[in-house]
Amino acid sequence: MTNGYTDIKNTDMMLIMGGNPAENHPCGFKWAIEAKKVRNAKMIVVDPRFTRTAATADLFLQIRAGADIAFLGGLLHYAIENNRIAKDYIVNYTNAAFIVKEGFKLPEDGLYSGFDATKQTYDKATWNYEEGGNVGPIPSVTTKPAPRAPGVTAATAAASDSGTSGAAHPANAAAAAAKPAEKSAPKVAAGGGKGGAAVAPYTMGAGAVPGASGAPPPPSLPPNVAYDLSLQHPRCVFQLLKQQYSRYTPEMVERVTGIPKDQFLKAAELFTSVRKDGDMKKAATIIYAVGWTQHSFGTQIIRTAAILQMLLGNVGRAGGGVNALRGHSNIQGATDMAGIFDNLPGYLKVPTPADANFAAYTHRITPTVSKPTEWDSFNYWANTPKFATSLLKAMYGDAAKAENDWAFDYLPKIDRNYSWTNIWDNMYRGKIKGMLAFGMNGVAIGPDSQKNIDALKKADFLVVGEIYPDETSEFWSSPGISKDEMKKINTTVYRLPCAGFAEKDGSMTNSSRWLQWKNAALPPPGQARLDQDIIAQIFLKVRELYKKEGGKFPDPILNLTWPYTDQKHPSLTELAKEVNGKALVDLEDPVTKQQIKAGQQLPGFAWLKDDGTTSCGNWLYCGSFTEAGNQTARRGTEDPSGQGIHQGWAWSWPANRRVLYNRASCDPAGKPWDPERRQVWWSEATKKWVGNDVPDFKVDSPPSDHMGPFIMNPEGIARIFAPLAAFADGPFPEHYEPIESVVKNPFHPNQSTNPVVKKFTTDRDVYAKPGDEFNIICTTYRLTEHYHYWTKNNPVNVQLIPEPFVEMPVELAESLGIKGGDKVKVTSARSHYLAKAFVTKRIKPMTIDGKKVYQIGIPIHQGFRGIAEDEGRNEKTLINRLSPTVFDPNAYTPEFKGFLVKLEKA
Amino acid sequence: MSQTQANLEVRRISGHAGTVPGAGLKRDLEVAKLIDTTTCIGCKACEVACMEWNSLTYTETTFDNTYQTMPETTWNFWNLIKFNEYEPQGDGNSLMLLMRKDQCMHCEEPGCLIACPSDGAIVQYANGIVDFQQDECIGCGYCITGCPFNIPKMSPKSQKVFKCTLCVDRVSEGLEPACIKACPTGCLHFGTKDEMKELGESRAKQLREQSGFAHAGVYDPAGVGGTHVLYVLHDATNPEAYGGLPRDPHVPWTVWLWKKPLKWLGNLAMAGGLIGVFVHYLRFGPKTIEEDHDIPNQGKKP
Amino acid sequence: MRDESHLLPNGRVQRYTFRERLMHWVAGFSYLYLLITGLAFWSPWLFGLTGITGGPTISRLLHPWVGVVFFLGTVWMYGVWSAQMRESPRDKEWWHAIKHYIRNEDDQVPDEERFNPGQKLLFWGFFWCGLVLLLTGIVLWIPEWIPWSLRFLRLIAVIVHPIAALFTIALFIIHVYMGTAVERGAFSSIVRGDVSRKWAQRFHRAWYEQVVRESPNRNDPR
Repeated sequence: MTNGYTDIKNTDMMLIMGGNPAENHPCGFKWAIEAKKVRNAKMIVVDPRFTRTAATADLFLQIRAGADIAFLGGLLHYAIENNRIAKDYIVNYTNAAFIVKEGFKLPEDGLYSGFDATKQTYDKATWNYEEGGNVGPIPSVTTKPAPRAPGVTAATAAASDSGTSGAAHPANAAAAAAKPAEKSAPKVAAGGGKGGAAVAPYTMGAGAVPGASGAPPPPSLPPNVAYDLSLQHPRCVFQLLKQQYSRYTPEMVERVTGIPKDQFLKAAELFTSVRKDGDMKKAATIIYAVGWTQHSFGTQIIRTAAILQMLLGNVGRAGGGVNALRGHSNIQGATDMAGIFDNLPGYLKVPTPADANFAAYTHRITPTVSKPTEWDSFNYWANTPKFATSLLKAMYGDAAKAENDWAFDYLPKIDRNYSWTNIWDNMYRGKIKGMLAFGMNGVAIGPDSQKNIDALKKADFLVVGEIYPDETSEFWSSPGISKDEMKKINTTVYRLPCAGFAEKDGSMTNSSRWLQWKNAALPPPGQARLDQDIIAQIFLKVRELYKKEGGKFPDPILNLTWPYTDQKHPSLTELAKEVNGKALVDLEDPVTKQQIKAGQQLPGFAWLKDDGTTSCGNWLYCGSFTEAGNQTARRGTEDPSGQGIHQGWAWSWPANRRVLYNRASCDPAGKPWDPERRQVWWSEATKKWVGNDVPDFKVDSPPSDHMGPFIMNPEGIARIFAPLAAFADGPFPEHYEPIESVVKNPFHPNQSTNPVVKKFTTDRDVYAKPGDEFNIICTTYRLTEHYHYWTKNNPVNVQLIPEPFVEMPVELAESLGIKGGDKVKVTSARSHYLAKAFVTKRIKPMTIDGKKVYQIGIPIHQGFRGIAEDEGRNEKTLINRLSPTVFDPNAYTPEFKGFLVKLEKA
Repeated sequence: MSQTQANLEVRRISGHAGTVPGAGLKRDLEVAKLIDTTTCIGCKACEVACMEWNSLTYTETTFDNTYQTMPETTWNFWNLIKFNEYEPQGDGNSLMLLMRKDQCMHCEEPGCLIACPSDGAIVQYANGIVDFQQDECIGCGYCITGCPFNIPKMSPKSQKVFKCTLCVDRVSEGLEPACIKACPTGCLHFGTKDEMKELGESRAKQLREQSGFAHAGVYDPAGVGGTHVLYVLHDATNPEAYGGLPRDPHVPWTVWLWKKPLKWLGNLAMAGGLIGVFVHYLRFGPKTIEEDHDIPNQGKKP
Repeated sequence: MRDESHLLPNGRVQRYTFRERLMHWVAGFSYLYLLITGLAFWSPWLFGLTGITGGPTISRLLHPWVGVVFFLGTVWMYGVWSAQMRESPRDKEWWHAIKHYIRNEDDQVPDEERFNPGQKLLFWGFFWCGLVLLLTGIVLWIPEWIPWSLRFLRLIAVIVHPIAALFTIALFIIHVYMGTAVERGAFSSIVRGDVSRKWAQRFHRAWYEQVVRESPNRNDPR
């Protein structure tokens, strides 16, 4: 989340879409209710089903699963057409005024410029800014504001002390407010030298492979961007945006999404009403979850939301933002700590084989400033080498030396895609022979559970660390496997009983980016062990083997630091301290003269060095465990501003900031847009940014410098147009149909689906086409009564929802002669699912592009292991037997929503 | 609860002859639970909290075309959210998913207590909580008949009746009921009846003025003298839509007739009968038999 | 069933057979239990009566079962006595003379058959009330099995059951009073079965005369 759960109470308007927080994030949803009760905030819910969230909404619209970009694009169109936009905000805080290169083409036919049909990739050379300064009629720096000096209260002065040695060193990997897991971090190559050097010339069709040796360097952003503050230039980002979404008329929205025009207009009017008559006081928030991410264009849905929020000036503001509700208590922590194969902790990129040495690697992943020369850009990722060096010091200790490039060669290099779906595909193809599965149920997760089961049959070994016997560890007994077939499965399965969440201490990072420490409530039962103990003991054994027997390259294993007091049972407190990082020599801040002795915990990431004098396991978490103790264990409930900032509760990355980009909560002169909700502001008296929150900004940069608030982007401003390699499938989002769709894309039937999405090619990877027998749209979801595939082992949860069911519209059920409670069979191109019918008025038939279309919904929770399953009371099919093996090209999230099925009475 | 809460003042006792012990000592404000159905998300946290706090046993359920897996509260499930798909205009375009947490309403005039014959099996505390004392319960089930909300339920095994206690054990120690504690959205509130009434009314006013629910209101039915569980409803004129919340609940008139006039008439009649025969005996005595001779038939009417 | 009364060799009159006496006391004792427990549930002031019927819970548990026994007793009685309990033409006259009956002016009262109209009233009253008590009692027995949609059954039962019981109590008071205090010898007749000829003549002359008429030893001088 750009903001946080407690901040939602500050909002005036909520758009909840692609998520069902009432059911899946009920504790966080409290703040949405609070906003309704206290501020009379309005809530718009857009979902394929009338959910329990919709039950509390002011306006509910039923959308076709997978049509989200069309809806949000329609909102963009409406906001621009009706001038419901934050003009000052977009001119000063986004790249709306930037001029895009000549030759860039919008996807009227479904394709941006540079598409290579054979490789299914884009040459992104034209997806770039034009070089060259002010080209518009308005003088270069429009705002030379007379800085104001808001009163500094004791509370705000105290709050501004972030412990980061006076300078704000903000951080967030997410470029356009998308959640970091979605891989939206800038991937800007720095080919053109540093600080204002000329951009390397680049011609269309050069077909550069990034990093490939011998090829020309990849295109990079121009340091001196051409811009037009009047937003009139035909190639300025704002005009392109306007043109791109001019096709997303209310009529098209109705054709694509199934939402009647009048209802859409009602929602559009309501949501954009926060910018009625140019008023900047109100704030609107967008709340989403995996209903947006689990599409073959998921990242672009979130992009559309981010663009909308920027257009309305809602990012960085209390009650605003783009807010991802993460699916587990600690999924944010997992992504922060390198949950995805191409990330290292703190969203540093994993090296590729082309990164010949540490310098080449850091050069590739460190962006250089690209902006109008008159403006300033903090470009915080310029510190990347410090983060990377400190990480290597944390990993390899004394073995990481300047002489050996900080042991850079110890890091694995990724030569191809190792994402979730690829892992299973590789195993299915026999290329991956073993798996350690901890804290997840890969067979149940899918996509295409049967493919995963078949893959495991071919593996040599499987180690499962779980708290219950699950479908993955018992894949060999899944329904449909005969006794004879079972005998032929030679996979050795090791099942390791693990501790549950209440049996472990440690911190969890929630959607608000808060690291919250918890204590173990009770010891693990029986032979169950802590995960870290199991992993530690496997590691120690492997290291022993390498010591004894050597190997091709034993150094990374032998030199890995293992500084824990009890080697076999590492304490999580020690790990947390290691992640925070420490000084390796005595350090002194040149400005404040603050000193840190060697071995002391670092107070913040501003102290990180690229000369090997600091170590830090994750720069974003630096400051979470300081000499003052474990900051994540803090439980201060004080909230002097009343805005739900709670500076003393736990610890929020980065640098304990609660709302990211909060500089944008002020106008260019540094004055809050809404005096009622003051987050940070420029204090003329102290010449500093101060506030109720920790300023997410360079604290001594005066408004007159016009430094952009989006300090993680090399431009300093937010990207309405995402240049170059930021996204695989286009600088603006475009509506594409799900891989399996009932209609051809009404915008461009000849390019119906996302052009860069690649399908898998094994015999199990089959997909339905329009016109097939599979003509019902199916979406999957969780229920509030269950937690993934675990709670079917808990009698209370089983009592609350005992059986699998399929939610379907009354009309569809009637046409098939199905009554509520009847057994039904749902079949996709891949497999089938058995459950009881839940005939409901909460899903209505829809008209999509003139066709009558039905949607059904299936909860994910049941499988073939659980209380009711073991007692033989339930059907034993897994929902993800139905889902297709395709994924989003940016975040690699599979398309669990909006695939096609047929439905029949079983 | 199996034990009368020592630090709560008892107001009424079922089946009890004579005055209530300790009556007249003011120890408690009247308490109430406020359930704002307009912000209920049907998460069932209250159901689970109730089961956990009261150590209620699990029930095997089946799916029945609704998220609600039990039709009613049971002897070991005291707190049930009732789900109703409701179309206020009946035209297919308007749809509401009404979710109402159903439990004992803790009536000011508790039909269960009035109907109960067993001394001390049902107690009403001065704070308004109506509590069953299973040690005193004789399993007659009259409370089931007396309740206008279909709440008390008999355990088939123990033949005792159980229901929500409003967590009297927690409340008597100054804590809120378990369901309130567990509610994630703050749709459940607990406090004095006056506060809750005021809070409910202000929320209903907000719903009328800001959310377009013209008939929003607070459910505090006068027929049972008001309740210690209050609802905020989107449409207070149609409580039935919320899973059969009675529009005008009252202690059933037959129960009233039985417990009030009939009881006194019957007592009078029985006492009168006994007195009557006694007086008859005094006045007329026994019908004597002349043992010496046959009684002639003469003089008798044919 | 036919009246089996007859003159006994010892000069007394057999009024009730063993079966009739057993039947009466099955109903009688079960009624007594029902009365005591019922009264205990009726009023808090009488709740203490459960102390002699096994405690409150046992009383509640047994009351319906004993009720079934009582009802079976009344059914039995119906089988045995219903023919003799039919209204006869003379009954109307008896009712006209009830005032005299009450005042012990029995010479003003028409001759009585084996059962006088008051006893017939008792019989039919108990029979019909017994039926009502049974039906309402079943509802009250298992209120948890009566669905909410049939709740009216419970509400009817809860008021009809005590009203019916009150009727039986009225009958019971009179019955016991008459059988013990007023008509001396009646009690022993329902215990031992026989009455003296004088008693028979005194209270049931029509019946006595019929017995004498039909008895083979009717000329016995006594």
